[in-house]
Amino acid sequence: MEAFGQLMGGFADAVTPLNLLFALIGTLLGTAVGVLPGIGPAMTVALLLPITYVLEPTGAFIMFAGIYYGGMYGGSTTSILLNTPGESSSIMTALEGNLMAKAGRGAAALGTAAIGSFVAGTIGTLLLALVAPAVVTLAVAIGPADYFALALLAFVAVSTVLGASPLRGLASLCIGLFLGLVGTDLLTGQQRFTFGVPQLADGIDVVVVAVALFAVGEALHVASRLRHGPVEVMSSSGSFMTREDLRRSWKPWLRGTAFGFPFGALPAGGAEIPTFLSYATERRLAKHDSFGKGAIEGVAGPEAANNAAAAGVLVPLLTLGLPTSATAAILLAAFQGYGIQPGPTLLTTESSLVWTLIASLFIGNTMLLVLNLPLVGVWVKLLKIPRPYLYAGILMFASLGSYAVNADPLDLVLLLVIGLLGFAMRRFGWPVAPAVIGLILGPVAETNLRRALAISDGDLSALVSSPFSVVVLLVAVLAVVGPPVLRRFRQREAVAA
Amino acid sequence: MSAHEQAAAEPRTSGPLMPEPLMPEPLTPEPLTPEPWEVEEAPRRPRNNGELALSTLLLLLGVYLVIGAGQITIPGSSNTVGPRFFPYLVGAATIVVGGLLAIRVLRGDQGPEEGGEDVDPEAQTSWRAVGIIALAFLAHALLINVIGWPLSVTLMFGAVAWSLGSRGVIRPLIAGGIVSVVVWVVFVKALGVTLPGGILLELATGWP
Repeated sequence: MEAFGQLMGGFADAVTPLNLLFALIGTLLGTAVGVLPGIGPAMTVALLLPITYVLEPTGAFIMFAGIYYGGMYGGSTTSILLNTPGESSSIMTALEGNLMAKAGRGAAALGTAAIGSFVAGTIGTLLLALVAPAVVTLAVAIGPADYFALALLAFVAVSTVLGASPLRGLASLCIGLFLGLVGTDLLTGQQRFTFGVPQLADGIDVVVVAVALFAVGEALHVASRLRHGPVEVMSSSGSFMTREDLRRSWKPWLRGTAFGFPFGALPAGGAEIPTFLSYATERRLAKHDSFGKGAIEGVAGPEAANNAAAAGVLVPLLTLGLPTSATAAILLAAFQGYGIQPGPTLLTTESSLVWTLIASLFIGNTMLLVLNLPLVGVWVKLLKIPRPYLYAGILMFASLGSYAVNADPLDLVLLLVIGLLGFAMRRFGWPVAPAVIGLILGPVAETNLRRALAISDGDLSALVSSPFSVVVLLVAVLAVVGPPVLRRFRQREAVAA
Repeated sequence: MSAHEQAAAEPRTSGPLMPEPLMPEPLTPEPLTPEPWEVEEAPRRPRNNGELALSTLLLLLGVYLVIGAGQITIPGSSNTVGPRFFPYLVGAATIVVGGLLAIRVLRGDQGPEEGGEDVDPEAQTSWRAVGIIALAFLAHALLINVIGWPLSVTLMFGAVAWSLGSRGVIRPLIAGGIVSVVVWVVFVKALGVTLPGGILLELATGWP
């Protein structure tokens, strides 16, 4: 298997002392920032992006791999120990995790989360290494019309599948698409929507928008309704996992991985759905009703699902250049910042980079398992940072990150304006992820649309010419019209019953 | 076994893409996003004027997109789909979505406010804090090239921490000052990122 040989080559590159150091720094930083409440994985990656600007690509991406997985580990610690969980894909872990921590079993909860994440991360990364080359061989047959259909599906999926209000998701998507349109049209060199401001001719940077929507928007939102009173961090002491805990955990780990990886790989918006499904499944399969009192399966499954989804997200990102979650969109922006365009050719043109990256995911995963449990005390201290300082610090790093992109104060003003928008969106329940995806995928969708139509000389039927695009577009249409139709159907059933 | 019977008798998970939330006693009220039909039937809260304004703005954005698209110059060579097509498409979609949402909001529909670890959904909105932070950030943006990043970000740090309720202003300023200088040294000297240091720092750290 050629892939195996290349993976071994990647390992050889990844275990140099310098790259190991990068991996270590990445995992530590990622966990530390991921632990901080109010910061989800997307924001972690966005805030730490500037650190990698000054490194050359291999080192930068190794650090990214560490930050990416580290952010998820950090988030688990927070969701178990903090009494008021926030980030959506860790809500499931918090349900049983909090109960376990309250019952004095915090250490066991953290243990099963850490080991489960490690297992899921390892299996997920292994699957990534196996599946990616296979997808690439299929992807070469995909034309611009198919890409356009995929992008459309990603738009629709991320807007309508998450959250309670698909219409608001679409509204967020429209904002993102507009922001993506600002700048110079690649194919004809015309300026669009730049208001005559020269700095906008290059378009609005994804990092600025991501940091503004996530970090500044969150900070403003928290400021408007700050939770006062002492921070309730539960104890992480208590006995570590017993043999019984291990016996109860290992199957949920595997089931969680099975849920997480495929959903992460599909344009279905990332980790929310698989963690939901994992929780529901574990609850149904539990042979004793400890759910509601601190069932370890309820932590093991969702955590594994979360991490497996994180690995799965990398499949379409690396092989097709298709981001399926906000975090993936930011990773894509990071690649583009180095002039590297992920896609079917990535595995051939940048083969050593990709395999080194995948090898570092394994290494980072292992480092996270080894480091996290002993360092729990440090993470707990981070959780207790007084909120005023925490959010002031977040804004400081937001300023650093966006200013470092172009050394232009205009970016900071833009940061504030978009941050205010992010605040409004949070307040009204408009999901933020679709905006980021619209921003980064919009130009891709447009380019492919125009290419497809240029090849067919303006014939719109080219968009549905290949069976692949027809199927994908049908799924997209279903995703939009399905829920309202089903809802009406149910209402009729309910009335009839 | 009775446990299995119990499990079988529980409501089956169904639903298109998201299972019905099977909740033990919830820790926070409704931590799960409610199903779409549940949101519709929620008690009618007073019409959210803020969201109405935003939806209307979105609608106007769509109009702006369509009109602006018409003003994009098309180079003569372009044969089929030029730089106007996608903006027209996005603009039309934005008008539709903005309009539909505005109508929904007028009818009293409200999206669930985003939760968060540090957000208290019952609290009164503190516009003062939001305003101070916005002003502090704006001032920071304007001052950054004048007095350098570390000093201006320290001022912002102090203002933000104070508005969020830290005791006094001196302690945050000192904390902010230390952190910003350390960060500046690390990023500019060790990592080579461009951040203006301000006169004092540039002089103090002599090396290029």
